[in-house]
Amino acid sequence: MIENKVVAMLLAGGQGSRLKALTRKVAKPAVPFGGKYRIIDFALSNAANSGISDIGILTQYKPYLLNTHIGIGSSWDFDRNVGGLRILPPFTSEDGGRWYTGTANAIYENIDFIDELNPQYVLILSGDHIYKMNYNDLLDYHKEKKADVTIAVLEVPWGEASRFGIINVDEDIRIVEFEEKPSKPKNNMASMGIYMFNWTELRKYLIKDNKDDQSDHDFGKNILPKMLEDKKKMYAWSFNGYWKDVGTVRSYWEANMDLLDDKNTLNLYDRDWRIYTRNKNLPPQYIQRGAIVNNSMVNEGCYIEGELNNSILFNEIVVEKGAVINNSVILPNCTIKSGAEINNAVVLEKTTVDGDQNIGELDDGNIYLVSNKKIPVE
Amino acid sequence: MMERCLGIISVGDGENNFGLLCKNRPSYMLPFGGRYRLIDFTISNMVNHGIRTIAVYTGEKIRSTMDHLGEGKPWDLNRRLNGLFIFPPIYDGHSTSPGDLVQFYSTMEFFDQRREEYVFINHPNIIGKVDLDDAFKHFINSGADITLIYKKQEDPSGMLINCDKIHIDKDGELINIGLNLATEREFNHFLGMGFMKKDVFIKIIKESMESGNAGFLKDAMLKSKYKYKINTFEFDGHVETINNLKSFYDANLNLLNREIFNELFYEGGHILTKSKDEPSTFYTESSKVQNSLIANGCIIEGNVENSIIFRGVKIGKGAIVKNSIVMQKSEILDNAIAVNAILDKQASIGKGMRIIGSSVMPYVVEKYQKIGKD
Repeated sequence: MIENKVVAMLLAGGQGSRLKALTRKVAKPAVPFGGKYRIIDFALSNAANSGISDIGILTQYKPYLLNTHIGIGSSWDFDRNVGGLRILPPFTSEDGGRWYTGTANAIYENIDFIDELNPQYVLILSGDHIYKMNYNDLLDYHKEKKADVTIAVLEVPWGEASRFGIINVDEDIRIVEFEEKPSKPKNNMASMGIYMFNWTELRKYLIKDNKDDQSDHDFGKNILPKMLEDKKKMYAWSFNGYWKDVGTVRSYWEANMDLLDDKNTLNLYDRDWRIYTRNKNLPPQYIQRGAIVNNSMVNEGCYIEGELNNSILFNEIVVEKGAVINNSVILPNCTIKSGAEINNAVVLEKTTVDGDQNIGELDDGNIYLVSNKKIPVE
Repeated sequence: MMERCLGIISVGDGENNFGLLCKNRPSYMLPFGGRYRLIDFTISNMVNHGIRTIAVYTGEKIRSTMDHLGEGKPWDLNRRLNGLFIFPPIYDGHSTSPGDLVQFYSTMEFFDQRREEYVFINHPNIIGKVDLDDAFKHFINSGADITLIYKKQEDPSGMLINCDKIHIDKDGELINIGLNLATEREFNHFLGMGFMKKDVFIKIIKESMESGNAGFLKDAMLKSKYKYKINTFEFDGHVETINNLKSFYDANLNLLNREIFNELFYEGGHILTKSKDEPSTFYTESSKVQNSLIANGCIIEGNVENSIIFRGVKIGKGAIVKNSIVMQKSEILDNAIAVNAILDKQASIGKGMRIIGSSVMPYVVEKYQKIGKD
């Protein structure tokens, strides 16, 4: 048996309704990000780079595209003879069929999967977050503290602390209190939704929680507070890299724009911690004579004849001569026709922006979500 | 229908025409078009037309081939049945003759055991998006034993001198194959590819091995041409014949022609290659890029014009890259200049250094070579 074995459970069933049309067809983890990735690639690549070889992906909301994207996990080297990646959708049994009713319930329903792998630790991850983390650092800390559960926490700006689950600790960094979206937070350490559990402990609590009719079967609301009540050893582990939970169209746009800032700390070009994704096998990008490309990221299969400033272009995008794109994110397979001007926008997949279209003003403060149908203002 | 056909990639010699670029790699492994190797075009075209089994005769410099092809995953050739078969050369002690016949002969059991009834043989240094479905239909419907594929070509620059010239009668049947010596304005260029019935292929090899009358399959076929019905199929698309440094350089830069680019990269299916998981390419405020093909994973801060830039290349501030091919992970540091140059993988041009070749004879910087004071 491999000692200190970790099984990662990645929650990827969230809808992300505030992302509006971005999640009309896909779950939030499958939303494209950073010119060539989908949001879930970050958690999957972190797990792969951390040497985790067993991972369960819990899907629920519109899983088709996510399933296609992940496949058998070969992009992240999760296609193994033993263990590897499993997609775990809700299922029916002799007790009837049911959806996952909460984050904890999703894990409860897959206790057999985890038992089969017989790990010492279970790492709960979310497929919604953009960050790079070595989960081994979290595990080392968890072992050092001899904890039952260790929660990754992040210092957030005080002004935003009331949006998060806030964690209060004693001088040993042992957790003494949870505050879910407090109006007057006592500190600014927010839970990142990343938990390292001892499996035997978590297993007990999942079974107990499932019998509780009053419970929402949620880690943040039920499992963790219950463990705290029982005086389990719960520690916070402080993470200080880049981390973003893109909840709204504006924060989605901002997170993309962060990549163009030379002070940004999410370095996609670091060869020691690559982010992997499904390979599309497209030819290189073609920058035509007369094109202007300033402070922008462009992906394979693009044909650029127009002007790009501070923008991120996904794959297979045509920007015709005389088209201007400023501060925008263009998702795959779009055509921006000659004469079009796009400012501060997120242009959805397969959109054609005609030459007479003028979207936004350079500093009108709005973010525009553009599709073939309509242009709602954020 | 194409699954009844076995693909064969057979490399000739001629590595010595590429100088430093082929010091450690066979010419069919030369990087091409920003993210590919020459052999990717041949393999992808076969796979895109439904050929499910491909045998590759590697030649001697096999390391980069093994690394690149592996078990054939990028082309979906990692199959239980069918898939990719790699045949390195064998040295059995008694055959000293050069040529591909010995190598084919050494794998006779493979051909005997395969269920495919036909073989398609091609050479990876000749690139063209030949519609194999059409060619195969012609081969089958005409009842030929062998169908060879050619293109009518003009050669004003003389780049195709000494290439195979195919002579055919008015019905397109083979008369002979000789060399193009530029005596005519236009000639029929034999593209080194064709279909054969598998039993004919096996018979030609065995007979020739027995009589010792040829070293190469082409010669063996010509020696026994009276026994078989050999006709031809004309291809009228774009062809690149890469047989020396200059033609390699030109073929890359020809991709900047939008029509050629579209034909080679998009028509009849994408070209598949090994993935490198590079992020998108970043163009900074100070970059200026004109008429160039840029792969992913690059950071461009300087000027690039009429060039092919491979994956993971860095071009520093104030640097000028013009009419050049810059291969994977090479670096051109601040204010350096590269004109009419080919930088092999992970080469580096130091700050302020200049390398200037001519368009007739591009300047080649060897793999890992660093030019500069530090």
